[in-house]
Amino acid sequence: MLALSRKKDEAIIINDNIEVKILEIKGDQIKIGISAPKSVPVYRKEVFAQIQEANKEASESVDMEKLKKLF
Amino acid sequence: MQINTKWFGTVEIDDAKVITFEKGLIGFEDCTRFAIVYETENEKDNKIMWLQSLEEQALALPIIKPEFIIDNYDPVVEDELIYGLGENVKEEDLVVFVTMTVPQDITKMTCNLKAPIIINSATMKAIQVVAVNEDYVVRFPIYEILKERKEKAGE
Repeated sequence: MLALSRKKDEAIIINDNIEVKILEIKGDQIKIGISAPKSVPVYRKEVFAQIQEANKEASESVDMEKLKKLF
Repeated sequence: MQINTKWFGTVEIDDAKVITFEKGLIGFEDCTRFAIVYETENEKDNKIMWLQSLEEQALALPIIKPEFIIDNYDPVVEDELIYGLGENVKEEDLVVFVTMTVPQDITKMTCNLKAPIIINSATMKAIQVVAVNEDYVVRFPIYEILKERKEKAGE
């Protein structure tokens, strides 16, 4: 992983068109501003991981008979 | 064409029913071709359908139309993400499903309102997208809702 040190109001550019800027530093929390084309999805990693996990679990479903009784 | 499914053995489907997820499903990025399969012949009788991978027989996710779960489901998604479904996407061609997880304890069953599956029925291209809506969660409990619906329908 590439590690870069940045100060408040400094930024990095990824792939010529994505800018990640440090907006605020407060204790152990950092506010980051991301400017990217709208076609680039940006998610909090936890949300993404949750969805991955849910998809995996969905694919591991199921007691079919129990499920059918619900409909 | 014939496909091998997780639940229903070998099934014959129309080539035109193959759904392409160019970016795969989240967590299954390598699986790009799917078909929707269900148990009985009449599509209307099947509230639960399965998004069956054509590449991985063991990969099949239970999906449901969101209107069976909540009223007025309206995920907000960047237009740019929808462009992946083809040019000049028409809203009336879009079909939305949500995936379900069904654990051993079925009362803990959930559906994923945060990341719906959106299919463009005109191009048969599809995406799984993350909705902007803050109130849509990845694990929305649905057991009680389904049970109530069934009881109501039986009255």
